[in-house]
Amino acid sequence: METLAFQGLVGLSVAMYLWLLAAGLTIVFGVLGVLNFAHGSLFMLGAYFAFTFYGLWGVNFWLAIALSLLSVGVVGYLMERFFLRHIYNQDHAYQLLLTFGFILIFDDAVKMVWGGVAQIPAMPGFFDATVSVVGRPFPVYNLFIIGAGLLVAVVVWVLFEKTWWGKMVRASASDREMAGAIGINIPTLFTGVFAFGAMLAALGGALGTPVRVVAPGIGAAMIIQAFIITVIGGLGNLKGAFVGALIVGTLSAYGILLFPVFELFLIFLIMAVVLMIKPQGLFGG
Amino acid sequence: MKEIIRTENLGKYFGKMAAVHDVTLTLQESLFTSVIGPNGAGKTTLINLLSGYLLPDRGKILFQGNEITRLGPDKRVRMGISRSFQVMNIFPRMTVFQNILLPVLSRLNKTSSAFSSLLSQKEAVGEAEKILGEVWLNEEKDFPAGELSHGDQRLLELGIAVASNPQICFLDEPSSGMNPIERIKVLELVKKLAGERKTTFIIVEHDMDIVFSLSDWIVVMNRGEILAQGRPDEIRTNQEVREIYLGEEI
Amino acid sequence: MKTRLAVLFLVIFLAVLPAVAGKYLVYVTIHILLLSIFSLGFNLLFGYTGLLSFGQAGFYAVGAYGCAKILLAYPSLLAGILGGVALAGAVSLLLGILCIRHTRIYFSMLTLSFGMMIFSLAWKWRDMTGGDDGLVGIPRAPLEIPGLFKINMNAMENYYYVVLGLSLLAIYLFHRIVRSPLGLTLQGVRDSETRAACVGVSVRKYRLLSFTIAGLYAGLAGSLLPPLERTVTPPVAHWSFSAEPVLATLLGGIYSFSGPIVGSALFYLLKDIIVRFTEYWLICLGIIVVVLVLGFRGGVVSIFLKEGSRR
Repeated sequence: METLAFQGLVGLSVAMYLWLLAAGLTIVFGVLGVLNFAHGSLFMLGAYFAFTFYGLWGVNFWLAIALSLLSVGVVGYLMERFFLRHIYNQDHAYQLLLTFGFILIFDDAVKMVWGGVAQIPAMPGFFDATVSVVGRPFPVYNLFIIGAGLLVAVVVWVLFEKTWWGKMVRASASDREMAGAIGINIPTLFTGVFAFGAMLAALGGALGTPVRVVAPGIGAAMIIQAFIITVIGGLGNLKGAFVGALIVGTLSAYGILLFPVFELFLIFLIMAVVLMIKPQGLFGG
Repeated sequence: MKEIIRTENLGKYFGKMAAVHDVTLTLQESLFTSVIGPNGAGKTTLINLLSGYLLPDRGKILFQGNEITRLGPDKRVRMGISRSFQVMNIFPRMTVFQNILLPVLSRLNKTSSAFSSLLSQKEAVGEAEKILGEVWLNEEKDFPAGELSHGDQRLLELGIAVASNPQICFLDEPSSGMNPIERIKVLELVKKLAGERKTTFIIVEHDMDIVFSLSDWIVVMNRGEILAQGRPDEIRTNQEVREIYLGEEI
Repeated sequence: MKTRLAVLFLVIFLAVLPAVAGKYLVYVTIHILLLSIFSLGFNLLFGYTGLLSFGQAGFYAVGAYGCAKILLAYPSLLAGILGGVALAGAVSLLLGILCIRHTRIYFSMLTLSFGMMIFSLAWKWRDMTGGDDGLVGIPRAPLEIPGLFKINMNAMENYYYVVLGLSLLAIYLFHRIVRSPLGLTLQGVRDSETRAACVGVSVRKYRLLSFTIAGLYAGLAGSLLPPLERTVTPPVAHWSFSAEPVLATLLGGIYSFSGPIVGSALFYLLKDIIVRFTEYWLICLGIIVVVLVLGFRGGVVSIFLKEGSRR
């Protein structure tokens, strides 16, 4: 019983990284209509930038996170402004192909700049502790992650439901033409939304640096899980992405514990089942 | 006069809105019928229900006595029902000739044939060439359909619709979005096809010239229901119909 | 006429290749042929039917592992290949029934998930697939029909001719299919599924047909791998491997018959050239993909020949 509770907490912290990745992915799809295959790469870049600022250059941890968000935001801006923009109203196949091309580019780019070896930087001092959960040591940092993830969920919710920018974004998502007709600058808005989504992914990657391996290919591994989450929750649905992340995170934690051999299979099976029965996802409509 | 298609209390609703409500209608074979009415009257929805593009929420549809209410469009085509679309629906990357050839092959049940070449399908090829001639597109035979002019695409659209040699053919605003010269051409073609083929044409139209010059029977719809139906002269003098069109010249 | 001459020349060239080229080139050519078969099947689904599958590696793997298991138990090349192909066909038919109900994004994601399910089985099901290490010691079994003939396959040249023969057969069959009424019907489904239905075509049935044929081709390509390498490992089922026929087809040209074949050759050529200058060949490939998607949908074939950019 205690093991299950403990593992659940582990799953919860894993889920938060997934939530940050899936949130950006689903927002970009919901508003721009683009499924960004390379979103995991933005997560990876966030990790690499944070590692560089914090791990290599000794910048203050929080500042490093902020700088890494900014850096990936710029990357996202460039990606959208000069490349993605050209394929908006086209077959999804071309969007998948184009963004797949970016996965290849980013994967090699990080090898070129940072070398192919995996990195693990030091834990920031104030987090370097564990807390006793059901008699076992649980890293404080993971609690911080859980808190951060929940905070982001609240902030994002407020942003989209309560602010003027959020209202514009939602209007553009549901009817692009109408939004353009009432004066919303759609191209600029789209660039902003994409950059925002990129920064969310980067935040996930950046926050993971003290505890997770920073290596080429971590993005590609996570993007599949992010796809699964957005399918379960419903493409474009933020609440769904949060719930989906919780499901996938805890399931993979329990899966590793209880069915180690078939854990991976199970997750894909769930995605397949959801796609077959209710392709719009649990919250989609 | 034999009945060809009949509906009983047909209904289609989108939320609270009734696109088509309680429509009981009998269409007769060989009677060129027009369906008219103001925008939003439910004309296209009715065609979509009859051709299988949409499934009704209520009611029944019978074709030559057989119930077809929930059959998909491909099955209805095989029974002899076909349609053209208001928003152009051709096969843009295929050539004009191939656009006509496909429905013919489908009718002749040759579509699964995997190893014989297209040109060896003599019967289908011959028929397709004939239809191509009927719709005046012989010269454009090898052009990709997507590159045709708008007017020629409309002719092709008609060609595809009649290529399955249907017994009943629904034309949804066949002259939609065309300039006066193109309109006349389409009108001529519809007239020609109606005269030469054993197909019953049911046409949705806004252009009253086309409606009154071609129709043997007119059905007037309003707000999803049938307002009136009858011979052109009856409809022309029908008070309610005139009011709906607010004194428009009909 | 020109095309026929070119094809003839190419076939002759391929036929004499082992006599004039070194072992390495023969080995690479076999791989190019495998990728060509794999890509042709993929493109039937994508270029001709309009469905982008990111899970074709799953069927390739079924063919590969199936053939390997058969060869380990009963060393007959024919049995291995036929068995692998049949198994891949059966699996693609079953999965196809599930996938075909959906289109576009959902179809692509569904194929991705099924492909990865097969990958996870290949990776974790040690008892069946050897897990991480895969299957090893697979014999390059002789080509034999008991009682009629038996040709030893130890020399790579011999195996090359088997692969070449089967590839040419597969390409020829593919040529017949896409020029046939079936081929036209698939294109109709691609161009407008609504219209296709309204001319009497059962869209679902033809998509399933296309999916199954693509699976058979993937399975054939996969079956030809184990006798060559003598091992089969899980990466052949991974979605990144599914990307190879996608890239090859994109390179060569989605809308042409020869695109996948040209693209497969180019893929290996590029890899070979780029790797001599830099180890970063993925970034070059990625840049090429971006350029192609943004500017040259018809791929290389459309740039150099007139055939590619339309049909």
